[in-house]
Amino acid sequence: MSRHHRSALLKRSAALLAATALIVAACSPAAVEETEDPPETDETDEAAGEVEETEPAEDDEPTAAGERGTIELLTTTEGYDPIRYEAAFMIADAWEELGFEVEVLPTEFSTLIESFYDEQDFQAAVVGWSGRVDRLDPQHFLGTLAGENTDLGGNNPGQYVNERYDELFAMQRAEGDQEQRREYVLEMQEVAAEDMAVNVLFYRDEVVGYNNTTFEGFTEMSGEALYNEWTPYTVTPLTDDRMLTIGTPEEPDTINPLDSTTVWGWKFMRMYYDKLVRLSEDAEPLPWAAESYEALDDTTFEIVLRDGMTFHDGEPVTVEDIKFTYDYFIDNEFGYFMPFLNMVDEVEIIDDSTVQFHLETPFGPFPNVTMAQIPILPEHIWAEIDNPQDLAPDDIPTVGSGPLQFEQYDLGEYKSLTVFEDHWTADDFEIDGVELIIYADSEGVFTGLQTGEIDMTAWRMEPGQINLAEDEDDITVVNAPDFGYYHLTFNTDVEPFNDPEVRKALSHAIDKNTIVDVLLDGRGEPGTSVIAPSNPFWHNPDVTRYDYDMDRAAQILEDAGY
Amino acid sequence: MRSYLLSRIAQLFLTFLVIVTMLFFLFRLGLPDPTSALITEGLSQEDIQRTQERFGLDLPLWQQYFVFLGNLFTGEFGTSFHYRAPVTAIAMDRLLNTLAMMLPAILLAYTIGPLLGVMLTWKRGKGVETAGIAGALILRSAPVFWTGMMALFVFGIWLGWLPTSGMRTLPYEASGFWDKILTLDYLRHLLLPMMVVAAYYIALPMLIMRNTLLEVIGDDFIEFARARGFSEGRVMYRHAARNALLPVVTQAAVTTGLAVSGQIVVEVVFSWPGLGREMFRAVQTSDYPMAQATFIFMALLILILNLAVDLIYGRLDPRVTTKAGH
Repeated sequence: MSRHHRSALLKRSAALLAATALIVAACSPAAVEETEDPPETDETDEAAGEVEETEPAEDDEPTAAGERGTIELLTTTEGYDPIRYEAAFMIADAWEELGFEVEVLPTEFSTLIESFYDEQDFQAAVVGWSGRVDRLDPQHFLGTLAGENTDLGGNNPGQYVNERYDELFAMQRAEGDQEQRREYVLEMQEVAAEDMAVNVLFYRDEVVGYNNTTFEGFTEMSGEALYNEWTPYTVTPLTDDRMLTIGTPEEPDTINPLDSTTVWGWKFMRMYYDKLVRLSEDAEPLPWAAESYEALDDTTFEIVLRDGMTFHDGEPVTVEDIKFTYDYFIDNEFGYFMPFLNMVDEVEIIDDSTVQFHLETPFGPFPNVTMAQIPILPEHIWAEIDNPQDLAPDDIPTVGSGPLQFEQYDLGEYKSLTVFEDHWTADDFEIDGVELIIYADSEGVFTGLQTGEIDMTAWRMEPGQINLAEDEDDITVVNAPDFGYYHLTFNTDVEPFNDPEVRKALSHAIDKNTIVDVLLDGRGEPGTSVIAPSNPFWHNPDVTRYDYDMDRAAQILEDAGY
Repeated sequence: MRSYLLSRIAQLFLTFLVIVTMLFFLFRLGLPDPTSALITEGLSQEDIQRTQERFGLDLPLWQQYFVFLGNLFTGEFGTSFHYRAPVTAIAMDRLLNTLAMMLPAILLAYTIGPLLGVMLTWKRGKGVETAGIAGALILRSAPVFWTGMMALFVFGIWLGWLPTSGMRTLPYEASGFWDKILTLDYLRHLLLPMMVVAAYYIALPMLIMRNTLLEVIGDDFIEFARARGFSEGRVMYRHAARNALLPVVTQAAVTTGLAVSGQIVVEVVFSWPGLGREMFRAVQTSDYPMAQATFIFMALLILILNLAVDLIYGRLDPRVTTKAGH
C-alpha cells in the first residue's frame, strides 16, 4: 500500500517538476521551440569517394540513412504529450532504416497547430483529433480528407485530393437515407485507405475510474467515457448520498452557450439544455424535445415539438423558442456551431407544435448533427440580449429545459445540477443531481477518488494512477474506447509524400502494435480508418491495411524507383 | 520628507511602466501568435478573423500596446482568452483566495521564525543550535511540492484528519469573501497548505535573525544590560532582538510581495483556487491577458511594498535618512 503511494508521490513530484519547468519555459522566449539535433548522416559513401557509386544499390545492402531524401516530422513536445513524442521517434527510426534522413521536430503545441493548419508548413506531422460527441456522425472526420477543406486553415492540411472521394463526400452529405449514406461512407474509407491519404496511428482508450461502493450502473460511451449525458440516468446510489460527484481537472471556459468552444463547457451545458434530438449511448439519434422528425425532401426537415415541456423557470417551451434559438445562433454567427448551421435557409413555424427547417443545400445528417447539438434557449430571456458574447460571467442565463437544472457554479471550485422534476424523464432518475469538483490537475482528481471525495473521474487517469487504481478494491477502472484518433498526416503537396507509393511504403514501416502495446500500455487499438471501430455503424472494417513489414516497405520503394 | 516621498513615487511609476512594457512585448514577441491559442482545431478563416477582431488582435502591435497601456491605467486588464470574461474580476477573486492562505502563513513564519532565531543565538554552541539550523536548512531546501505531498499523504490520506483540496467543503454558500473564510471549515482546509508554506518560509527570518543577532550581542549596550543583572532571556528578547529586527522586516516585505503569486506549486497540489494556480493555467493555455495580469499584480505589489519598507526603515532606524538629495 505505502509503496504504491510512494510511487504515486514520485510520479506526482515528477509531474510538478515538469509543470514548473513548463512555466519557466513558457516565460522565456528562447525556450519556445525545442529541436532535436539532426541524426547523424552516414557519410561513408562520400568519404570513400568510389566511382561505382552510380550503380543501383543491391537489395541486400543496408540502405544508408539520407540516401532517399530527408523528412521533417513534426510532433508535440514530450511535456505536452509523451506518447506522440515517443511515437514520432519510433517512426523516425524505422524510416531511417529505409534510407531516409529523418528529423523529428518536437514543437510547442500552439505553434505546432499553427504550422500544421494555418501555414501547412510541414512534411509529416503527428497530430490528433479528439472524439467529440458531434463527431460521431462521420461528416466531420470524412471532411478532414475532402478537397473542399484544403485551404490554409482548413481541416485538410495534408491537402489530400481524390475526385471519387470528393464526389462521395458530396453524395453522403446530401443523402437523407441512413443505409444509402452508409454505403457511401464505407466506400470513402476504402478510397482513402487505398491512397494512404492519412495514416491513422491509433485510437487511445479513455481510462477512467469510479468508486464502486457509492454508485453503480455507469454508462460508457465511446469518446465520452463515463462523463456523458446518460450516466445520470443510469446510476443507482448505494448509500444515502444521492448526489453523483464527479472530479474534473478542467475548468470549463464559460457556460455561455453563445461563447463556449470547449468540450468542458459543453459537457456541462448539455445536461441542463434540451436539444431536439439526443444521441443514444450508441450514437443513434433519438427524438427528444422533438417528439418526431422527418425529412420531407432533400432540403426540408419537419419536427413536431413534444407537448407540455417547460423551462426551469416555469415558462412553456414553444415553437417560437425553437425558431428563436436557431435564428439567434445564426444571427450571432457563433463560429463553433456555424458548420452545423450554415446550410439553414429559414426556420418556419407551421403551427403550435410544428416547425420546418428549410436548407439551402441538402444536408442528410441534419438531425444527427445539427438537431442533436443546438441547445434550446428560452426566447423570453435571450431575446433581450443583443451581444451575448459580452455577457459578464454573473449575467449569463442558465435557464434551460433539460432533465437537470442549473444550481451553482463557483469558478475554479464547484458546479452542480439537480434533477428538474417537471421534465418528462424526471422519474427515470435515481439520483438527486450531479455535482462537479474542479481540481488543479489530474493528481488532485485521483486523490479525491482515493479519499472518497468524488464518485468518478471526468477525464482520463494518468498511466501511473491506473496501476494504483487497479490495486484498490473500491475503485473500478474502465477502459472506454475512443473514436477520436491520433494520426500521421503526410503533406501530399510536397516531396516525397506527393507520391502515394512513398506514403504506402513508409506506412508499412510503422509498427502500430508496438506503439499501442508499449506507449499506451495496451490501452488502445492500432488505427485503420478515420472512422473508428468504436463507431460501428459507420466504420469500415475491411479497408486496406498496411501491416508492419520492413521488407515490403523496402520493396515498394524499390519498385517505385527510389 | 514630502519631496522624498514624491520622488520615490515617481520612480515607482517609471519602474512600473518599464515592467509592463517588457511584459507586453515579451508575451507577444516571444510566444506563439495568441490567435493560435484562441482558435480551436480548424476554424474557418472568417471565424479566425472574427475572433481576432473581437480580442483586438487584428491591430498592429504598437497600436495594441497603447490600447493596453490605456486600459491598464483604468484598471482594465482585458478579456481572458479562456474564460471569455474580463480578467480583472477573476484575477481579483483569485488574489483574495491566495492572500487568504499566504498572509496567515507568512504571519506565522515571521512570528515564530524570529523568536526561534533568538533562541538559536541564545543557545549558541549547544545541540539546540545545531538541530535548529539543520532543521531550518532542510525545510528551506526541501521542494515545496514534496513537503506538500508528504503533508497531504500523511494528514489527508493516511490519517484522514484534514481535507486534501480546496478552500471549503463543497458545496457551500457564502455571501462574500469574509463569509467564506470566517468559518471552521475554512480553517480545516487552510491548515495543511498554510503549514507547508510557513515551513518553507520560516527558515529565512529565523536564520537572518540569528545572524544579525550574533553581531548585536557583541555590542556594549548588551554588556551593559547584562551588567544590570537582567536575565539572559530578557536581554535577548527585549534588548538585543529589537535591534536585529531590521533585516527581518525587509525580508518580510519582499516575501509578502512575492506571495501575491502564491506558491504556485502549493496551490496546484492542494487545488487551491488562487492566483498562482490561475497563473499556471493561464500559461498552460496561452491565456495571455490573464497571465499578464497576474504578473502585473505581482510586480505592482512588490514595488509598493518595497516603498513601504523604505519608509518604515526611517522609523525603525533613525540612521536611515529620508531627506531627498542627502
